[in-house]
Amino acid sequence: MLTALGGWGWLIAGLVLMGLEMLAPGVFLFWLGLASFLVGLLSFLVAWSWQWQLVGFAVFALAAVPLWRRLGRPRQDATDQPYLNRRADALVGRVFTLERPIIDGAGIVRIDDTVWRVSGPDAPAGSRVRIVAADGASLKVEATA
Amino acid sequence: MSGFDIFAIALALVVIATLFAGVKTVPQGFDWTIERFGKYTRTLRPGLNFIIPYFDRVGRKINMMEQVIDIPEQEVITKDNATVTVDGVAFFQVFDAAKASYEVANLNQAIVTLTMTNIRSVMGSMDLDQVLSHRDEINERLLRVVDAAVSPWGLKVNRIEIKDIVPPADLVEAMGRQMKAERVKRADILQAEGQRQSEILRAEGAKQAQILQAEGRREAAFRDAEARERSAEAEARATQMVSSAIASGDVAALNYFIADKYIRAFGEIAQSPNQKIVMLPIEATGILSSLAGIGEIAKATFGESAASAAAAARRGSVPAAGAPPATPPPAGRG
Repeated sequence: MLTALGGWGWLIAGLVLMGLEMLAPGVFLFWLGLASFLVGLLSFLVAWSWQWQLVGFAVFALAAVPLWRRLGRPRQDATDQPYLNRRADALVGRVFTLERPIIDGAGIVRIDDTVWRVSGPDAPAGSRVRIVAADGASLKVEATA
Repeated sequence: MSGFDIFAIALALVVIATLFAGVKTVPQGFDWTIERFGKYTRTLRPGLNFIIPYFDRVGRKINMMEQVIDIPEQEVITKDNATVTVDGVAFFQVFDAAKASYEVANLNQAIVTLTMTNIRSVMGSMDLDQVLSHRDEINERLLRVVDAAVSPWGLKVNRIEIKDIVPPADLVEAMGRQMKAERVKRADILQAEGQRQSEILRAEGAKQAQILQAEGRREAAFRDAEARERSAEAEARATQMVSSAIASGDVAALNYFIADKYIRAFGEIAQSPNQKIVMLPIEATGILSSLAGIGEIAKATFGESAASAAAAARRGSVPAAGAPPATPPPAGRG
């Protein structure tokens, strides 16, 4: 098939792969398609055997990786729910009242009917603390002025 | 097919396979740990990720969603030595995939065991009544203890809920009887209370009635006395009026009245149903002499002609002693 169609086969395969990328985004098919397309274009300029064309395709595909990582990576933060499964991060910036004092840098804050471990400067019960960062399942806090 | 042919095909396949192996799409709700030659290096977040094939491999696929674990039934002995059967649920969520993967060997079993032992220690420090009525407190204490204990495993226990607390059947039956007795007691007390109240109310009513009757009698007596007083007053006034009338007028008028009364009284005696005895006043003859008084009046009123007629009538009359005071014979008589 490769020999029969010559360069056209590569071009067609390239377009098909690029099209498939739309159906299955982020699976590198677009870049494989691009490599295939490139091989197809080159086969018109340079007469090379299909074996070399395959090798060329492999090389281009590998070469596409750095390009892809720079350009083609879909943006990870494009979501309307950035805090899905990241509950601790969602609490950052909020202010709560200590039910019990923070002693030796560790304490407990009651949020949403459950308790969270917090770490921060010692503070008496009743003082208000702001959550500055999430560290796994515990929260870093600082005293609010 | 030459060796080069096979090499070319194999190369292309290996390259494609390698490229696909380097792309990892992590589904939302999971974090994948990456091990490089068996050592943990990093965690893949949901979305598109790349790893270096041949060096890295996916270690554990950790569920980052909140999960529910059933805490199986177990028998717990309370502080007052009642054996109760308890089960529950625990909600937990992994926050650190690496710790949850490598710090603990069997996460779910560890959580279940930890919760079970803590249920024993918390409930073992309470009486049965407390255990049955202070579930919130039990849940709270369990949560604090278990959550602190699981912190090295990179997860957080959000809630622990005791589902069923089942005391042994004979104890339940005793509780039922206790409650029934309690309610029967309340009913009896209420009934007695009601009776007492009604008795009191009835006595109050009787008392009020008697008071009112006495007041009525008192009032009536007062009014009777007043009536008597008034009538006496009237009598006195009448007497006074009569006496003043006599003083200023003629005695003959008085005689007329008395005679009138006298005759009427006599008539009444005669009409009495007792036919055998006719009571006659001692001075029955006085009646007739009183008629003379009337004659006197007539004489004084109508003049001589009437007087002579009256005198003729009087000739048959016998003057009697004790007659009501007759008018003195006028001058020039006989």
